[in-house]
Amino acid sequence: MMPDRKMFWRIIRRLLSANRGRLFVILLALGAGAAITAALLNLQVDAKRRLTAEFRTFGANVIIAPRDFSESAAKPRLYESLFSDLSEGMDTGMIPKAAFLYGVANASIDAGTQKGKPPAAGNVIVAGFLYSGNRPDQAVPAALVEAEQKFATRVRRHCDVGQQAAAALHLRSGDSVRLTNGAHQTSCDAYVLPALGGSEDSQVFVELHTAQTLFDQQGYISLIQLSIPGTPGQIQNYISLLQQRLRDVDVRPVRQFTEGEARIYQRISGILSATVALVLVLTTLCVMAAMTNVAMERRNDVGLMKAIGGATRRVLRLFVAEAALLGLTGGVLGAATGILISMWLGKAVFGVAARPRLIVYPVAVALTIIVAIAGAYPLRRLANIRPASVFRGER
Amino acid sequence: MFIRLVADSFSRRPRQKLLTGAALALGMAVATAALSVSLDVGDRLAREFRSLGANLLVTPQADSLPLEIGGVDYRPVNAGAYLPETDLGKLKTIFWRNNIVGFAPAMEIPVQAWTESSQTLSAPAITARGTLIGTWANHSVAVPDGSSYVTGIAKTNPWWQVDGKWFREDQAECVVGKAFAARSGARIGTTLHIGSGNQNVALLVTGVLSGGGSEDDAIVAPIEIAQRLGGKQAQYRRLYVSALTKPEDEFGRRDPATLAPSEYERWYCTPYISSIALQIRQVLPGAEVRVIRRVAEGEGAILTRVRTLLWLVTFAALLAAALAVGASSAASVIQRRTEIGLMKALGAGSGTVGLLLAAEQLLLALVGGAAGYALGIILAQFVGQKIFGAAPAFSFFVLAVIVGLAAVVTLLGSAIPLRRASRYEPAPILRGE
Repeated sequence: MMPDRKMFWRIIRRLLSANRGRLFVILLALGAGAAITAALLNLQVDAKRRLTAEFRTFGANVIIAPRDFSESAAKPRLYESLFSDLSEGMDTGMIPKAAFLYGVANASIDAGTQKGKPPAAGNVIVAGFLYSGNRPDQAVPAALVEAEQKFATRVRRHCDVGQQAAAALHLRSGDSVRLTNGAHQTSCDAYVLPALGGSEDSQVFVELHTAQTLFDQQGYISLIQLSIPGTPGQIQNYISLLQQRLRDVDVRPVRQFTEGEARIYQRISGILSATVALVLVLTTLCVMAAMTNVAMERRNDVGLMKAIGGATRRVLRLFVAEAALLGLTGGVLGAATGILISMWLGKAVFGVAARPRLIVYPVAVALTIIVAIAGAYPLRRLANIRPASVFRGER
Repeated sequence: MFIRLVADSFSRRPRQKLLTGAALALGMAVATAALSVSLDVGDRLAREFRSLGANLLVTPQADSLPLEIGGVDYRPVNAGAYLPETDLGKLKTIFWRNNIVGFAPAMEIPVQAWTESSQTLSAPAITARGTLIGTWANHSVAVPDGSSYVTGIAKTNPWWQVDGKWFREDQAECVVGKAFAARSGARIGTTLHIGSGNQNVALLVTGVLSGGGSEDDAIVAPIEIAQRLGGKQAQYRRLYVSALTKPEDEFGRRDPATLAPSEYERWYCTPYISSIALQIRQVLPGAEVRVIRRVAEGEGAILTRVRTLLWLVTFAALLAAALAVGASSAASVIQRRTEIGLMKALGAGSGTVGLLLAAEQLLLALVGGAAGYALGIILAQFVGQKIFGAAPAFSFFVLAVIVGLAAVVTLLGSAIPLRRASRYEPAPILRGE
């Protein structure tokens, strides 16, 4: 038995090294197949996850408001404590969220900064806001978050004025604005926000506590906006969870975005899966065809081996072992390359390198070995070859 | 003789040629399918993104400051400016008119509502106060060029779901928001009396609307009724426009005022959201057109990413196809050492041998490529049908790329073994060494 096995491996070694060009070609085909398989599998898993994160650029997708919101414009009915308690007991404490308090106040430019401009004053919606979470720009407009960070170190109070509000009040960044509501008043340095195209354009944003003092609504807020990440299904689950927990308030998805998102996500993930599946199936077939082409060439070798007394089974085992070995080498090298490629692709598309999934590697290698062996399948037909006809040079 | 040699090579080993051809066809099929789908997917996805609704908002330029929270304007009817409804047909005359998939004007007025059952002989009992949103449900707009265009709020706000039917444009009908319906007791079929100031109107409820926003607590009726109640004939306060756009790139974000004339032309003739906004401003005098950033930017970011992703996957597919095809054509040349040796021994030059083999490979590439293209188109149609419900359009570009790719890849794949083959010494090969 021992010398038999030694001989077996020796023949395989010879088979592989006999023709370097051929070896290179097979390894290239198998390796390319494995690389594509690994890269696409890895990218597909990663891309779907990234896409759901990408959808959060649309901003908040859930609103928590008082149950009867008909006349809630000036009547906040939520306790501020709800905002901090919201994520208690849930594993997702870092969900971007923001609380708002709305009210109507009279805005005017402070006399000191007016300097020859027409006197302008009028009622505006003042929105007090507070946000938390690791990506606050997903719950409130990004321009607002930027402004907050920019002015965080200023000593004087500032307020962010929407573009339409600024135009109506003839305001420019840096002007001092006085906001009055009954006996309460406050003044702040204006910063004009870029146009956002929503109702934000006609509002003035101040810190939540400033607004609470201004409207005499300490401890109250008008609504909470959440930006829940995940697939449409996960978002829906989270909403139902919140609805169960918060029975006395209205938790509702922003249907414009949740529904549109579900639809688009479904399409994109469908197209991605379809393309990947298509590429994988046909890559497999291509590699198989290339392998088969190479295997057919082994006619003469099979004939010779049979002529000197090799049993058909043993001869076949030899070739299958060779194919498997080639598949293993091609797969190990190709799949590693593929995972590296997918990390780079992830970086190119989403700006973050795709996280390599360990499961992808063995799957890609196993797939390559199977393809290589399947590609050698036509050798079975060679088992019927009569050695004599090979030696006579018959085709 | 040359043709005979090529023909002979095909008929002598049909199975081998078939295998190489099959590998080629399959590879090219992947390439065709992936290429057609990703060429097509941008447009299709852009259309899908319109399910997010309007991305442009038109308001009067000389407007007073809106007191708007969550999409509801709390100003009285007589405050602020309005725009003429008759101008709206002009929207379909702008350069990118075909990119405008829908638009709908809106006008809100505060109203009181009561139903028959709550009414007593002496005085109508007011059951609910609310907002009446006047808009278009299925309105036929006359376009200045003589045609007409049907649009409405369902196109700009596709997430609004109506249980029942939308109101008819020329009838005294309305749909009510589901919260309002619960509050006022109005159901499908009830007649709702609406009053504003000293004007009254009776509307038949045809459906219950749920949209997830402030519209759930409002009455939605034909804009004509809102205009009559508010005394603002043929006017509207805001207009929602949903347009297909190209995501803004570096060039699209530049200020059009700083562009040179030729650049401006290019900017104007690209469906960036900002250039469509400008074109709308040009046909609607006195209007201010604002881009709804939240929708437009999210859409732009995602579309760009998905497009890049699909192009990369396509590129991977092309690469895989090229490698597999190259490998199999290389293998088919390597096999023919003996034959090459024999030809050279009979006096053929390296050039002739190379030309012969190249011709064979090209013929194979043509046949395999054509078969692969046909297969790929079928696959692409299947995928397109399955996902978007529509097959990708035929593109000459794809055909050209596939044929070119098939030829280049087979030639490159055979080039290296051919070069080596041309250096073979005939004698050792013929001796079987």
